[in-house]
Amino acid sequence: MSEIDLLNAVLQNGTVEESPFLTDAGAAALAVGLSTLAAGYAERGIGAAAIGAIAEDDDLFAQGLIMTVLPETMVILALVVVFIVS
Amino acid sequence: MSAGASNPEYVNARVRSRRAKLFADEDYRKLIRMGPSGIARFMEESEYEREINELGTRFSGVDLIEYTLNRNLAKHFQDLLDWSQGRLYDYIARYLRKFDVWNLKTIIRGIYTETDPDEIRTDLIMAGELDEPTIDRLLEVDEIEDAVTVLDGTIYAEPLGAAYEEFEETGALVPLENALDREFYEHLLEDIGRPNLQEPQQGPRARYVEFLRAEIDFRNARNALRLARSGADLDPASYYIEGGVLFDRTELRTLVNDYDALVDHIAENKRYGDRLAGALDQLRDADSLIQFEHALDAALLEYADTLSSIYPVSISAVLSYILAKEREVENIRAIARGREVGLDENEIEQELVIL
Repeated sequence: MSEIDLLNAVLQNGTVEESPFLTDAGAAALAVGLSTLAAGYAERGIGAAAIGAIAEDDDLFAQGLIMTVLPETMVILALVVVFIVS
Repeated sequence: MSAGASNPEYVNARVRSRRAKLFADEDYRKLIRMGPSGIARFMEESEYEREINELGTRFSGVDLIEYTLNRNLAKHFQDLLDWSQGRLYDYIARYLRKFDVWNLKTIIRGIYTETDPDEIRTDLIMAGELDEPTIDRLLEVDEIEDAVTVLDGTIYAEPLGAAYEEFEETGALVPLENALDREFYEHLLEDIGRPNLQEPQQGPRARYVEFLRAEIDFRNARNALRLARSGADLDPASYYIEGGVLFDRTELRTLVNDYDALVDHIAENKRYGDRLAGALDQLRDADSLIQFEHALDAALLEYADTLSSIYPVSISAVLSYILAKEREVENIRAIARGREVGLDENEIEQELVIL
């Protein structure tokens, strides 16, 4: 028995049978979830401002809509993580 | 304090859009060359359309312009209160009490001169905190003392009650009006911090305080200059409003007697000296206090604009809009009145606050 094996045996104190707390897929899901939350928070302010601007001037609808969904790019970038992991 | 989160983004977007619709300086130059009916027509093609049409059947000429301006101002400021929530609402409401003070002053003057209630009503700007029923009751009373009783429960009752005794002795309205002004300005800084005591040093809140202090300082400076100019034997300390950084009470008392020292004192202040340099020079050699007051207005407006670009999403933009709107209304009124009494174009232009 080498020293490394001995060390492992001491540290683990037996074999591990349950799955780890956070799997790769789980971590990726967390990344997507958090970035979605962040995007939602960012859109809150932009959306409020956009609605205010549209209320004053209807022509701003298209610009307002585009500005409002810009933070969605964060979610798309976070989705990349899912593809890397799986 | 009203509950709930504030929504500065929404209010800012709307306010900035309305700000952009205000008349530009070129428009004033155009208006100066028009008669009252021309001005009314010009206004009809702008955002005053609805008010002009509503009031057009009842009034004409300068009266039409005046009432249109008042009503439009009230509409816009009421909108501000409708949109805003939470802390933002508190700040805006606090600032708009300015119009409560204006209304109360108008009513008190009306009672004093025994003017017809309907006539007083047309001069009111319904943009403040006092509700219609209270205003209605105020308009019905015949004695100033009764008016003070009607105000029971509002923040104005106590100072007015105290000032009323002075009014009874002297018979002048000054103590009453002064009490209202002071009450307004002293409430502005309430809960935000007194000098050197837990005052926010950074961030939008600090800017808000800075702006209010500037306004109080300018008000103090204006009062002091008026006193110095009039040469009246009044105690300047009783006109002093707490919360400014430019003067303290004792300084003001000595400075009022010495006009040049007063101007120097303002010029030496590092916060305002540079900003007002041009106006102060004018003040030194010219006799015109009006010019200086307009310069103060312009400086305050510019100051508010600077603040609103430092912190885009804060109350600063709203304050700057309120000031800009007031300036527009005052300018148009000055042009209309000036044309009515036959001033020439240069004279009217001097009456305007143009940046």
